Amino acid sequence: MSHDKLSSMQIRRRTLLASMAAAGASAGLSTLGVSRAFAQEPEKPAEIIVRAWGGSWVDALKAGVSDSFTKATGIAVRHDLTEDNEIQPKVWAAVAQKRVPPIHVNWDTTTNATKSALRGVTEDLSDLPNLKDTTELAKPVGLDGYPIVNTYGYVYVLAYRPSAFPNGAPKSWKDLLDPKLKGRIALYNDGIGFHFPAQVAGGGKLEDIPGNMQPAWDFIAKIKEQQPLLGEDPDFTTWFQKGEIDAACTISTNAREAKKNGIELAWVVPEEGAKFDTDGLWIPKGLPENELYWAKQYINHALTKEAQQVWLDGLGLPGVVPGLTPPADLVDDPSYPVTEEAFEHLIRISSKVQVENESQWFAKFKEIMQG
Amino acid sequence: MRTPRAAYPVTWRVMDMLERLAAAVWPSSFQRGLPYLMLLPAVVLVGLLVLGLVQIGDTSLRVLDTNTFLMSEDYTLANYQRVLTENFFATVAGRSLMGSLIVTAITLLFAFPYAYLMVRTPSSALRKFLLVALFLPFFIGQVVRAYGWLIILGNQGMVNEALGLVGVPPMRLLYNYPAVLFGLVQYMLPFAVLMLAPALTAIPNELEAAAASLGAGWVRTFRHVVLPLSRPGLVGAGLVVVTLSLTDFAIPAILGGGTQDFIANAIYDQFFRTSDQGLGATLSLMLVAVGSILVGVVFMLFGAGTLAMGETRK
Repeated sequence: MSHDKLSSMQIRRRTLLASMAAAGASAGLSTLGVSRAFAQEPEKPAEIIVRAWGGSWVDALKAGVSDSFTKATGIAVRHDLTEDNEIQPKVWAAVAQKRVPPIHVNWDTTTNATKSALRGVTEDLSDLPNLKDTTELAKPVGLDGYPIVNTYGYVYVLAYRPSAFPNGAPKSWKDLLDPKLKGRIALYNDGIGFHFPAQVAGGGKLEDIPGNMQPAWDFIAKIKEQQPLLGEDPDFTTWFQKGEIDAACTISTNAREAKKNGIELAWVVPEEGAKFDTDGLWIPKGLPENELYWAKQYINHALTKEAQQVWLDGLGLPGVVPGLTPPADLVDDPSYPVTEEAFEHLIRISSKVQVENESQWFAKFKEIMQG
Repeated sequence: MRTPRAAYPVTWRVMDMLERLAAAVWPSSFQRGLPYLMLLPAVVLVGLLVLGLVQIGDTSLRVLDTNTFLMSEDYTLANYQRVLTENFFATVAGRSLMGSLIVTAITLLFAFPYAYLMVRTPSSALRKFLLVALFLPFFIGQVVRAYGWLIILGNQGMVNEALGLVGVPPMRLLYNYPAVLFGLVQYMLPFAVLMLAPALTAIPNELEAAAASLGAGWVRTFRHVVLPLSRPGLVGAGLVVVTLSLTDFAIPAILGGGTQDFIANAIYDQFFRTSDQGLGATLSLMLVAVGSILVGVVFMLFGAGTLAMGETRK
């Protein structure tokens, strides 16, 4: 083989590899909904950092969104498992000091994210192409534009161990007051998810929130007599597994995770209703232009039907893109509302009202529970 | 005649040069300042902490605007008013203070015989065993130890399983105030023993022998000789345990089941849950104040114990 022929073959191989890379990138970017020409795209960072919750939560995000984003763009995704409420002051401080924030994308509760939006540390996401294909659930209530994009909804169900309810599933939150459940129930340690159904269970009206929440506090005071455990997401799964509790007000995902781990568990939306809320993705201000661009592409990708289907199959939660198929075990499940009728039993209060009153509600809940 | 090179090696010349350099930079007249120079890094570090406290003091005088989630521009005492008037903060402060006092008393009670045996035993094997048992927990972090108790004391834990063997139904051993105090005592015990041991070592064996030779029994010798002479160790250990217990976060968070918060947990909640840095800063300063007053009272009543190294022991 002559030298010339060898050179020619090398060039052809390089050309071929480059062509394949370009074709692959174009295919991937098409999936992401990116309409710009390849040459116009900003420089790709080696990785983007996405804050996430651990355990089954991050596994689902990785399987549904991060892996496919990396495959399409070649950009690695690192998941930062710092707690949502602990990353918040770090991001706020970085923006205030005009430093580059420690993460590119924050996977956050909408309530928490709303605080950041009100503080003005979130980038506007209104220009994401895939937003046009989403339901109204994607739009944060009470805020201008899209400082956050909601990506799914979830329900704070009454999860219970069927063997502890031999007469059938609990029908009301008041069933938690049964003396045999003393020391065997659990709530979130900030009361989140329980305030609104407690308002109804205590004889009050949802329209009175936040003006008059005395019925909620009265009912929570009764629940306090039951000596509930107070914890966070991982605690509920652990407590059910370790036999510490028989019932809890928790996000259905935690109950489903415990059930997947072989724990006998079921859940209901009681007659008073259950709180429905959303989580979302947002980008902190202060990123370099090219990194901001690719962070936006990550969120845009999370809004594709394919990414939502895999991600939310893992979480067992309803997404913001029409036409998703519920996981087989959650068809017609009250924790996976898809019809208007299913939403009638759920309680949704605007994030703005929640963040404005959170500090007071938190203090009141703590006062009752720590007393 | 030239001095042979071997008679004055190069290393000596280097040392001479360094000495001359040191004399130029730090003349002998500056010698009295050397201790202060050595103190400087520590003073700088403490100074930085004081700066932090000043910043916290500033934040404590501002309230959170929930429309913008920014702190107010104006100064106000509203946060202090909340802390002093709301029942929740009184409950948490009372629980922390009472808890730290109970933990200190129990820890000293357990630590004293341990330390005494460790320094007095003639058996070197026993002394080594006690030392290893003392230092082993230091290699296991506080959080890991607390989780260890969850495994041991849980409803399906080792203790309940053992009780089940004799027909006792599972009982709730965790997530209550006694569980938190238990965890704190277990965590604080090594600190107390380490503070007590030097004080007990400083008591000459001969004093106890002399008391015995004069007819004093073990209890009388302990009461009139050992206990008074070990007071500096007890005071030093007590101060360390009471301040660490008062400010502890992890044990109440893990073993308290969310219902047994100490002040540090309440501070965390304000900074990280409600984003109310002003209220969190106020609670932090109040905690510093309460801890300082407590330590000050002990100093006034009993002296600084083993922490007052240079002073004549009282």
